[in-house]
Amino acid sequence: MLVKLEGGRIIDPAHNRDAVGDLYLEDGRIVEKPEGREPDEVHDVSGKIVMAGAIDVHSHIAGSNVTLGRQLMPELPLLAAAEGQPILPSPSSWGSYATGIRYAQMGYTTVIEPAMIPTHAIQAHTELASIPIIDVAGLVVLGNDDYTLNLLRKGDTKGDELKDYVAWTLAHSKAIGLKVINAGGSEAFKFNARTFDLDEQVPEYGVTSRGIVEAMQKVVADLGVPHPPHVHINNLGIAGNVDTAVATLKATQGRPIHMAHIQFYGYGKEGDKGFSSGAPRLMEAINKHKNATVDVGQVMFGQTITISGDILRQFDGRRAANPKKWIINQGEGNGTGVVPYNYKKKSFVNALQWAIGLEIFLLADDLWRVLFSTDHPNGALFTRYPEIFHLLMDKNERSRWFDALPEASRQVSTLGGISRELSLSELAIITRAAPAKLLGLTDRGHLGPGAIADVAVYTNQRNKTKMFAAADLVFKSGKVVVRKGNVVDVTWGRCYHVDPGFDAQIKRRVKTFYNNYYGADPSWFGVTEAISDRPDRFATIPCTR
Amino acid sequence: MLAHGSPPVYLCIEFNKNTPGRTTSLDSTLERAAELLSKARLPVFGGLFTDVKGASAALSLAEKLGGVVDHAASEGTARAARVTRETGMTPASLGEVRNRADTIVLLGDMPRTRDPKLLDKLFPKGATLPRPGDNKRELIVVGTKKGRTPSGIRVTELNGKADLPELVALLGAAVREGPFDIRDTALAKKILSAGERLRNSAFAVFVYDPAELDEPVLHTVLETVRLLVKTTRAATMSLSAPGNGDGVNLCSTWTCGLPVRTSFAGEVPENNMWAFETVRLLKSNEADALVWIDALNGEEATPPTRAFRGVPAVVLSSRPVKAGRDDVVIEVGAAAADHDAAVYLPPIAGIGMLKASAANKKKPTVAEVLSRIEALIDAKGAA
Repeated sequence: MLVKLEGGRIIDPAHNRDAVGDLYLEDGRIVEKPEGREPDEVHDVSGKIVMAGAIDVHSHIAGSNVTLGRQLMPELPLLAAAEGQPILPSPSSWGSYATGIRYAQMGYTTVIEPAMIPTHAIQAHTELASIPIIDVAGLVVLGNDDYTLNLLRKGDTKGDELKDYVAWTLAHSKAIGLKVINAGGSEAFKFNARTFDLDEQVPEYGVTSRGIVEAMQKVVADLGVPHPPHVHINNLGIAGNVDTAVATLKATQGRPIHMAHIQFYGYGKEGDKGFSSGAPRLMEAINKHKNATVDVGQVMFGQTITISGDILRQFDGRRAANPKKWIINQGEGNGTGVVPYNYKKKSFVNALQWAIGLEIFLLADDLWRVLFSTDHPNGALFTRYPEIFHLLMDKNERSRWFDALPEASRQVSTLGGISRELSLSELAIITRAAPAKLLGLTDRGHLGPGAIADVAVYTNQRNKTKMFAAADLVFKSGKVVVRKGNVVDVTWGRCYHVDPGFDAQIKRRVKTFYNNYYGADPSWFGVTEAISDRPDRFATIPCTR
Repeated sequence: MLAHGSPPVYLCIEFNKNTPGRTTSLDSTLERAAELLSKARLPVFGGLFTDVKGASAALSLAEKLGGVVDHAASEGTARAARVTRETGMTPASLGEVRNRADTIVLLGDMPRTRDPKLLDKLFPKGATLPRPGDNKRELIVVGTKKGRTPSGIRVTELNGKADLPELVALLGAAVREGPFDIRDTALAKKILSAGERLRNSAFAVFVYDPAELDEPVLHTVLETVRLLVKTTRAATMSLSAPGNGDGVNLCSTWTCGLPVRTSFAGEVPENNMWAFETVRLLKSNEADALVWIDALNGEEATPPTRAFRGVPAVVLSSRPVKAGRDDVVIEVGAAAADHDAAVYLPPIAGIGMLKASAANKKKPTVAEVLSRIEALIDAKGAA
């Protein structure tokens, strides 16, 4: 069936396009205007904004860590319903089903779960498969696991064993890329370390955080995995940690890296309170290091919960739990910390965190390398995205929020002096084009012929919160799934992953390792297509080598 | 369907024999099940000895019908869930414990009753991963006899006239160096020494079955761990519930935000460990239909026999069952025997996949049966 979207303003920064025109969809793809054929269906979108479906590069939506959060805090939606964009005050509001529905309503069509635990990949994929409409992918976490650390201790004398192990893990867990969370820090926590820096050594293993990240960068590049290592660096949330971020950027020596939720590393320690915005310094470094991409991890005021494989950081953060309850889960590799948190407008630190995130976006030279995220739910629930788009696109709205912040926070923030407003094209870069490019999902994030027909249509209005909270129309793989902000068809998306080859010997080695140390068989946590009853659930994206 | 109070007639249904009246096709049996359930005001989905797909299908149908989901071994998980909601948890995986704990505190009888090889798993004979500290590994058994323990491990038994809750409280007091007073001076000395050992441990872990401990005891254990972690490493390790209880519980949580013992009768799902327990719902006649699911390889759910009476039931079972004459009984495959199954596996502290051991593909799975019943109910609604 040939579908025509007629007369909309097409925003497609991947093709430098911002112009009124028509868009044609057929068989789930965007197609050139077919000569001599009339469309079977025409949608009049004149006066509307037409963009590719949005892509979220870092959002904790599934897996054993997220469900630990649900176990700790079923009341989260009830508390969060009082803040910002309305959500149903029901425990099921952060269940799998509601996640897909709400994302689709906002025009999101692809979301990446950034922290699958290798041994829990089956739960992660089962949860992901129960999220409707959106396409998904997962990043698998390594770098604090004893297998990797043991190889690095030995100097990986067998040459390619680490490469084979990473490739095997990616394939076994059907992941799209590799995540490294506080490299070595979680392992050090097991030996009672309470802080861990870039050049500190992991007890018993002798390797440093720098060494682990460097090794993973090399391996991922050698395997040709399109997405570079997705790294949650050391010292998250600590005053003065902008030094760590800058040092980590330097340590990359030009090799590709994605640094996650960088707002949480934009902290200086100037001023009376020993906490200040490090955003200008951070952005100077990011602007310079063209090998690096980041997502921001914007904070919004209100109740949320923090869920992280950075167990060392979460252990420290437990003291700020609000409500006062927390989980420290000590498992293989990273483990997890779950700590409820309420970002308060009246808090000097929280207000500054909010401002630092916005500064990072607005000080970026190249928005293709500064991607949108709130690190859902850690900085804010994903339901808050429309408000953040509004803040980025409207300096008056920003001033209105900024002026309500504590005097002390305003004084040390540069945000008040920034007049930049992101354009629709720039918003499309940070929420569509750049994430697709970064992930190697070349069939989306743009509106060129051949792209998957994931399209979001919005009514352009001054109030960007309203505009982006409810899309007029959303097409998922060519099907209308949302009309006037309501889901009209519950479809089921696909899951993307890479499958780099490996020497089959690694399977035997890993099997022996799990058998000896855990009394477990790796086949138990291998993800197969049978996890879903839908035959076309999984799709492999090619590696470049 | 039996009118409430009329004498029940039980049949022992053996699937392989032609029980009179039971030779109907699967299609017509599913029709009867759909008919029965679509009439129900509050159906309870109990047993739930099934894999994750089965649990997911049960949740879907329960949501549709405004019913209740519970699990036959949810007593412990429900308590643990409530403690978690109130204050949190500090679990460690079996892998971390067996490789890295230097002190293991075993509470009560149930852990070893449930898993007779538990201590061999906790104290493996072979090499382990690097662990913190240089203490020799030690076992402290609380509230029960130490029994057979692995060789080469120092074992302390804290047992005597005091019961398990009291011993846990005393041990907690000893850890925080608070005052306590018991007559048995030998025991007091042992408790004090155990408290000191815990403070000096590099990684102490309390192992228990939440079904054996009341909530206040679970809180005491958690508070003791939280005191220890201020200066050292400590955790709890809870035995997983029988019948994939943890897997079903997790599935319920990601589906609707709440663990089992949840009702979908209201506008939003509601969890209540007392109100939405299967036997209570049946005895009180609040539930007017039962879906009983018992289909795991090697494990059998205890059916709520007496409470069964008077409530029409749809029984999905992988083994012969006793059921009322008018109950709808459907033979299904046993998860992990007749078909591959995702279930909670303690060695990986999470959900893993078990391959079918003796696949009989003729038997439908719980998920298939429930999905077909749901489709039939949808069709009725649409008609």
